[in-house]
Amino acid sequence: MHGTLFVSGNSGLHRLHPLTKLALTFLFLVFAATLPNLLWLLAAFVILLVPMSAWGGLLRPFLRSCLVVITPFVISLSIIQGFFTPGETPLFHLAGFVLTGEGLLAGLTVASRILMALGGALLLMLSTRPDMLMLALTRSGLPGSLAYVVLTSIQIFPRFQERAQVILEAQQARGLEIKVNIFKRLRLLVPLMGPLVLSSIVDVEERAMALEARAFSRPGRKTSLLALADSPGQHLARWGLLLLMLALIGWSIWRAISS
Amino acid sequence: MNGFRKEFSTFSIALMAVAIAINIGAGQIPRAVGLPLYLDSIGTVLVGVLVGPWAGALTGFLANVVWTFTGLFPQAIAWAGVAAIIGALAGVFAQSGWLKEWWRAALAGLITGVVAAILSAPIAAYVFGGVTGNAGTDAIVAAWRAAGFDALFSNVAQGTMSDPLDKIVTYLIVWAVLLALPQRLKARFGNQSGQAAKTRARKRR
Repeated sequence: MHGTLFVSGNSGLHRLHPLTKLALTFLFLVFAATLPNLLWLLAAFVILLVPMSAWGGLLRPFLRSCLVVITPFVISLSIIQGFFTPGETPLFHLAGFVLTGEGLLAGLTVASRILMALGGALLLMLSTRPDMLMLALTRSGLPGSLAYVVLTSIQIFPRFQERAQVILEAQQARGLEIKVNIFKRLRLLVPLMGPLVLSSIVDVEERAMALEARAFSRPGRKTSLLALADSPGQHLARWGLLLLMLALIGWSIWRAISS
Repeated sequence: MNGFRKEFSTFSIALMAVAIAINIGAGQIPRAVGLPLYLDSIGTVLVGVLVGPWAGALTGFLANVVWTFTGLFPQAIAWAGVAAIIGALAGVFAQSGWLKEWWRAALAGLITGVVAAILSAPIAAYVFGGVTGNAGTDAIVAAWRAAGFDALFSNVAQGTMSDPLDKIVTYLIVWAVLLALPQRLKARFGNQSGQAAKTRARKRR
């Protein structure tokens, strides 16, 4: 689908029921929050997430997305935690501040927690069509109108980005100067934002009428053109994942109390 | 509960989807003209103002879910609660008539910005180790840490430097849009003046 991370494919990972993949994403989130240290977190990433992405034929896009997301965190966290966490192993002096080994380790640990959590979310989004995920959630009780809002905005936002660009170019063609001082730039927002927002709102009426013409607000169960494949094994696996998450959370609470 | 129901007509559902696309589309304009603002909640505030607090809150929440889906800013989901509160506040301000004069709209933006800064800071400080993954804001946080403040305070300080101005401009844009919006469309929502709501109530009788 245009404008999302989804990469189409026919692997086992792609064919898993969306809720099974969502449960895995939550499991990785729990891992990110509960695993005790950097070594465990990196091991979990390499042993679980990397092979799963390879299973889905998504190794390259997965690692690329992870790199794009995590690099700014690694840089910011190494600097901020590294310099401002007190410790006994100075590594580096800069203008009166000391980069400590303890601080660097703390920063990298937080970065690896973020990598674990966002890596799980990225894997879900790379391997699952948003409409399939929403269909699965709607089947388990999410209101259809919410699924509509999410899916429609995912579909139309690239066109809105284009529209913003077109308005910008059109106004410049009419002589709008954008290389001016900062206070004048604030005033530029009126000719740029105005047309974008107003033209979009006028669209809403057409959309609402199109929806009503298709009985959008009619109560009752709706059928879908998409088919979801589920299996008893996956149903069981989802309960198993839920129990595993609860056990991990219990374990980390127990650790926190006993220490 | 009645107010909640009333906010979710087909018309407002369609508006919510468009509003999220406005958030993403409008968010690139300040970057294009070189303004240090985000302006990525114009759609959320607009829904809050036009439809009401519940719809505004839901739009804010779903907008951050969509940001995550697009992969443009996957960590957005962690701030979905803050975005929901921004939308709800917009609805409450509009119901209190604050969107009628520009200066009160600006004040609403100021308050929203301070609230957003205070609520976002603990998420950055405790979930993301004191950073947001955005080079500009993280540099400001680093400057506050260098001045000797702790992670939470530094993130609040960073937020109060950028969020209030961002939300003041957002509210002023929404105020200007309301002026330009055809009366016919405004009447379909009627969260601000109570005028349209009264008309609707009369029709029902």
